[in-house]
Amino acid sequence: MNNALAQVKEVYGKTLVELGDRNTDIFVVEADLMKASGTAPFKEKFPDRHINVGIAEQNLVGVAAGIAATGRIPFACTMANFMSQRACDQVAMSVAFNKFNVKLVGCYAGLTQEKNGGTHVSVMDLAVMRALPNMRIIVPADCHEFEQAVTAISEDAAPTYLRMAKLLPNSIFGSDHRFQIGRAYQFEKGNDMTLIATGLTTSIALAALPVLRKEGISARLIHLPTLKPVDSEMIVASARDTWAIITIENHSVFGGLGGLVTEIVTSEYPVPVRRLGFNDQFGLTAGLDFQLTYFGLTVENIVNNAKELLRKHK
Amino acid sequence: MSLDLQKTAEKIRLATFKAIAGAGGGHFGGSLSIAEMLAVLYFEVMVIDPKNPDDEKRDRFVLSKGHGGPALYAAMAIRGYFPLSELEGLDQPLTKFPKHIDRLKLKGIEASTGPLGQGLSIACGMGISFKQQDRSNRVYIIIGDGECDSGQLWEAAMTAAKYKLNNIIAFIDRNNCQIDGTCSEVMPTEPLVDKFTSFGWKAFQADGHDTDSLLSVIDKAKQVKEKPSVIIASTIKGCGVSFMENRYEWHSGKITDEQYKKALADLEARL
Repeated sequence: MNNALAQVKEVYGKTLVELGDRNTDIFVVEADLMKASGTAPFKEKFPDRHINVGIAEQNLVGVAAGIAATGRIPFACTMANFMSQRACDQVAMSVAFNKFNVKLVGCYAGLTQEKNGGTHVSVMDLAVMRALPNMRIIVPADCHEFEQAVTAISEDAAPTYLRMAKLLPNSIFGSDHRFQIGRAYQFEKGNDMTLIATGLTTSIALAALPVLRKEGISARLIHLPTLKPVDSEMIVASARDTWAIITIENHSVFGGLGGLVTEIVTSEYPVPVRRLGFNDQFGLTAGLDFQLTYFGLTVENIVNNAKELLRKHK
Repeated sequence: MSLDLQKTAEKIRLATFKAIAGAGGGHFGGSLSIAEMLAVLYFEVMVIDPKNPDDEKRDRFVLSKGHGGPALYAAMAIRGYFPLSELEGLDQPLTKFPKHIDRLKLKGIEASTGPLGQGLSIACGMGISFKQQDRSNRVYIIIGDGECDSGQLWEAAMTAAKYKLNNIIAFIDRNNCQIDGTCSEVMPTEPLVDKFTSFGWKAFQADGHDTDSLLSVIDKAKQVKEKPSVIIASTIKGCGVSFMENRYEWHSGKITDEQYKKALADLEARL
């Protein structure tokens, strides 16, 4: 366990080099953001499999689709907001509709844009990707899980959106943690309340568990690194067991993790769900800690919401 | 004149018309304008095997103007991919033959298209992949002239030049009509030859309704080293149906029984 934040791009670049070594079908496609995605080592080692189309995200996605059409495996990366907004139609049509095996990587996701500011914070990428048929969505919580996810999706022939925060903790799970596509992970067995988190916010929710315990609230945490296909069974079971849920995400509360959990429980076992995230807001210009506090993605806010939720509903 | 090919084009055109009319109407104009290009590609130029549509060695065809689907289906049927009678299914519920082509529904379709301007990027990806493996497969693509309004097309054009994709041969179906009017009215894109040339392509011109003209230009395009080729093919929207020719209104529409008879007579007279 090492909670210190690290640059995810270093993991991405290193893992792709390893994959590229083993599999000559792996391509990297960039749109002038190699510095942000960290694929320079791949370019150095496999220059003819490293494509850069310039600042042209729609073309980035289309070129990747064409590479996939020949049976190869392209990893196309740009910032999460550009991938889901500028290139939305190409993601939908050239990739998802065609079911081409493209790995779409949205980097600097959500608040980890930090001082690039609100124009760059992806508030809706998960909502967009979730609404697309055929699309898998993977949101790793730490660098160790991220590395496993990159390898796993390279071996899974499906259009996939990999959400890549700029910063993630090195390792928040035990060394036996094994990422599997479609699998959810439960931590602790508390029965008063369920926290559900994905990506960057899983470490925050994890840190909230002992604080809740001190407050006399016995909670469990579901970490959901795959939003699609989602492990709805574990979510429904937790709704039955605990009767109250808080979702915590580095994304709008509309259409992302909170939307997903709400949709599942309302049709299977309705319980109160509090959604922490951006509440109909764009991001802003500030460092990560400031932004997390501003948007209520803190241990303190999770604990306050838990107390309030229990007071109101139990 | 290569009589056989020219005749094949007319057969494609007639089958295209019948399929669209049978479906209760559709995109007549831009389907009828590409019959010769399809005849040349599917019956002479492309390395393909209708009995083995997944053959690794096959050339790839991308129909960027996805609404030309009926003409592509007609060409594929006559080439032997499936019986021509199946085109009666065009645009029927759950059909394998939607007017905008869908690769998951029909073997032999290389890329689903419809929203315009996306095809050339896909062709670039194919060309890059083949080149990286020193494979001899070529990528052919038909792009509507109205699609040249779209920014993504020019992003892709730069990419093809940057990666020296001489395995790509693109056709612009230059019928000068788009939905709301003539191309020159809606969005002037000329001079296309100069534009593509300045983007690093080798640009050719051809009579898009003359199979000999197309063949001779394709032969030249195949000799080009280090550059992608584009063939600006002058065509007539609605070609072969007298009352549709050069009328942008026939981008899509329905026809009356009387019009149907007239069109059929026009097209049969060309066989």
